[in-house]
Amino acid sequence: MPVQPLVAVRRYVGRWGLIVALAALPIYYGIHDLTYGYQAGYVAGHAVFRQDLSMLGYDLAQGLSNGAIWALIAIGYTLVYGIIELINFAHGDVFMIGSFTAVGLWGTFGLGLSTGALGLVGGLLVTLIITMIVTGSLNVLIERVAYRPLRNAPKLAPLITAVGFSFILQNVGLLWRGGSPQSVPDLIHVQQTVFSIAGVPIQRGYLLALAVMVPLVFALGWFISRTRAGRAMRATAQDPEAARLMGINVNATISLTFLLGGMLAGAAGLVYALYETNIWYFQGFKAGLIAFTAAVMGGIGNVRGAVLGGLIIGVIQSLADSRIGPQWTEAVVFGYLIAIMIMRPRGLLGEETREAG
Amino acid sequence: MSELRAQLREWRDAVQKRLPPWRSRALAGLLIVIGIVLPFFFPPSSGFMNATIIAVAYAVMALGLNVVVGFAGLLDLGYVAFYALGAYSLGWFGSGFFFKAHVHVLVSPVTRTLPGIHLNFILLLAGAAIICAVAGMLIGLPTLRLRGDYIAIVTLAFGEIIGVVAVNGQSVGVGGGMTLTAGNLGISAVDQPYFPGIGLFDLLNLRPWYWLILAIMLFVLFVNLRLRDSRLGRAWIALREDEIAAVSMGIPLVRTKLLAYSIGAAFGGMSGAFFGTYYTEVNAGQFQFGFSIFILAMVIIGGLGSIWGAVVGGLALGYINNYLIPDVLNGLPGKFGLNFQLTQVEFGIFGFLLVIMMLLRPQGLIPERRRRLELTAKIAAEDSQLMEAQGTIGGST
Amino acid sequence: MNSAGTSAPPASAALRAVHVTKKFGGLDALKDISIDVPQSSIVSLIGPNGAGKTTLFNMLTGLYRPTEGSILLGERDITRARADVITGYGVARTFQNIRLFGAMTATENVMIGHHARMRAGLFGAILRPPWVRREERETRARARELLAYVGLHESVFDRLASQLSYGDQRRVEIARALASQPEVLLLDEPTAGMNPRESHALTEFMRKLRDELELTILLIEHDMKVVMDVSERVTVLDYGEKIAEGEPAEVRTNPRVIEAYLGRQE
Repeated sequence: MPVQPLVAVRRYVGRWGLIVALAALPIYYGIHDLTYGYQAGYVAGHAVFRQDLSMLGYDLAQGLSNGAIWALIAIGYTLVYGIIELINFAHGDVFMIGSFTAVGLWGTFGLGLSTGALGLVGGLLVTLIITMIVTGSLNVLIERVAYRPLRNAPKLAPLITAVGFSFILQNVGLLWRGGSPQSVPDLIHVQQTVFSIAGVPIQRGYLLALAVMVPLVFALGWFISRTRAGRAMRATAQDPEAARLMGINVNATISLTFLLGGMLAGAAGLVYALYETNIWYFQGFKAGLIAFTAAVMGGIGNVRGAVLGGLIIGVIQSLADSRIGPQWTEAVVFGYLIAIMIMRPRGLLGEETREAG
Repeated sequence: MSELRAQLREWRDAVQKRLPPWRSRALAGLLIVIGIVLPFFFPPSSGFMNATIIAVAYAVMALGLNVVVGFAGLLDLGYVAFYALGAYSLGWFGSGFFFKAHVHVLVSPVTRTLPGIHLNFILLLAGAAIICAVAGMLIGLPTLRLRGDYIAIVTLAFGEIIGVVAVNGQSVGVGGGMTLTAGNLGISAVDQPYFPGIGLFDLLNLRPWYWLILAIMLFVLFVNLRLRDSRLGRAWIALREDEIAAVSMGIPLVRTKLLAYSIGAAFGGMSGAFFGTYYTEVNAGQFQFGFSIFILAMVIIGGLGSIWGAVVGGLALGYINNYLIPDVLNGLPGKFGLNFQLTQVEFGIFGFLLVIMMLLRPQGLIPERRRRLELTAKIAAEDSQLMEAQGTIGGST
Repeated sequence: MNSAGTSAPPASAALRAVHVTKKFGGLDALKDISIDVPQSSIVSLIGPNGAGKTTLFNMLTGLYRPTEGSILLGERDITRARADVITGYGVARTFQNIRLFGAMTATENVMIGHHARMRAGLFGAILRPPWVRREERETRARARELLAYVGLHESVFDRLASQLSYGDQRRVEIARALASQPEVLLLDEPTAGMNPRESHALTEFMRKLRDELELTILLIEHDMKVVMDVSERVTVLDYGEKIAEGEPAEVRTNPRVIEAYLGRQE
């Protein structure tokens, strides 16, 4: 039977096997660049070849900042799964609504290419806060309407409603801004190089992504470990029944989890809009699958894992985009997802998943 | 409210008790007869017939997915993969796409002169079923030890990968200047079915198409009914209900699950092959994730695990999607002063239906259980006759 | 002579665990357990909650693989065998929390038990040649016989398993286990939730199974009366270790056993 050797392989893969598989792409291309060189553009009609790591560095920088966005979304997936063991299928589309809301607010606040720096920063900050509130509330609403009534139903049921809600949200996006990707003003001149590290240009967009992700992740981490509500979240994630018996309001805690996840997705949405200068009703579906892959790769239920996974997926994606071709990137990412699910479902930082029922 | 429901249930049971035991067979027979003569009430190229043909093809898809999700309880969110593979089987082996080849098997005189691989439609149907059965096993293999929601994600990922391959296949060469797929441009001029004695189908006369898909559906329906009431069908349901107990009772996990994936995929492939020839082209744009959800919605709304539920769900959603919304109700929002057409909110409507169904009537329109109870009452009557005849009635404690 | 008063059966063991250890990550669930279940005997496995009894059952039936040690069914090494294969070899079990298939009737549940002994496959299901039809009929008839054998009334044969009473469900589970024509029957707390009269009926029934069907029975039990009444041998586990083994009367007065159940006397 074909399964037996698979089981044996799986036992030996382990965490290091996964790390090797993940590092394979950058290492391969790094060596390839150093030995064979790559075409770095044209000068005066001749192709310019280089044999250094700066293209790899560029890919990495690009990948890490993309990854920061995926990390923010992945945290939402991992928090929800950790607490109620449900894949919130609609989460990616909440992210999309976040982007749309943010862009809508820019219009309302009159933020445009000619707005001064101070006004821009202020306006974006306010946009961020409002967007986060909107998406957070949306996520809470979805939980209330679609998941809570089905908490005791077989796992299939809330998964279906999640998919249903995903479709509803996508349709909302479709009606809001049409079926094709929409260009949005490049408010912060996202591609402008701020400085260089070892010959790799660091664009404003990269800094933006990190500047939003890092404080939010730290704030979340502080919240979960230092506040009472955060402890309630951890307790409920470990054992909802025991948490209830200890007086924790499990329903409120779950709603809080959805709120936080949704808020982060909203922040990701704003960053995405600024970074890609492009929004699309379908972006949530794509982003959702990528972010979910990231969450699984890092270890579902583990916030640090989600961040790590997001960054790693961002790098893989960026490498696939620039080396294999963007039309194949999706297949590469999903290939990784399937491989992880087979080889090490608990991901890099996750705990052993129970096998026998 | 519950009193009303109880009253309704009482009436329904009273009515059922009074009907003769051959009722369900007679009903089924009547439906089949209606199904066969239906085309004669409509012009040969009517829009309604077109919608019906598509609806019946969807019912076949739903029956296939019902085997995987309904019987065996494996949440497959990548079913579109089998639609794609079925359609591509047709595109590869029933058109001029592989123009270097010259293979013709039982095709019309006109087709015999064309380059490419051209097989008779029945062969194509069988081929699509086999290709998809193998693909189903390959896709199912990684999911065997995973829990429900992870199975969903992995199958979804496979569905997406196949979609990517379909789009990019036009840059993947298979030798002789031919490519794997034609991407978004599509493989066009796909053969139409030809049967010696009946002739070549054409799209001006939809009746033969209808009878063809009806025959396919009846075949798939028959196989489903046989499977459900068999050792294999019971094994699937046992696995669905409680995997640990099922395995402890001697049901081989891997083989049984892979069979579910294969059979479900084979049916999807057959329907996909039909779509390929009916739409006369196979292009990558037809294969989106939304389609997987569409078929899943049919199974769920019809009744998870219920064969007739899958048929009803398939037909209902097929009609809603291809007739009701685009032709009949499309202008409805306009009448309320709203600035969009109904087709634009199609997927939102399906999403909404899914949510509502799960919240209000998760067992679907035709629940699985009810039929089971009816059937067992019938079997019990037969069995006690059998046991009396053999003199083994009663037992000792 | 054993406590049941009959002459001892031949000493060949129907089921044997040999130096079995099971570790889950850092946790030692079972440490060096060896247990012999002689042919056609009734052996009880007792011990406080969490002692590892069900874990041992799960290994004997192939749901878990031992970290160390081996498991033998007669002469055959079944340590690495899959659960469904082990059922085919002749080991059947019931579960502590009844695990019937709720969406199926009692009869169908028992028919599932017979799965490993049937031969109809995919094409048999679709084509239904006469031999398949016969197999189905016979399996169904046999299932109903078994249901009657375990004491159920005809009226419940075609009721959905989820609609049966607790006591009836327990019986259906036993009938289902018997349907696989086992040589060894593992019962996990079969008298849980039963009153003394029902428990007594069950012990009579177990003796009947041993005598009429020549079954070997290993049971996990908490009801000491049942254990004392029906067992030929008792094995006691505590914290994953075997702390005593022997005839029921011996074990009952063993101080280590008393300590395990009641806690240390300070």
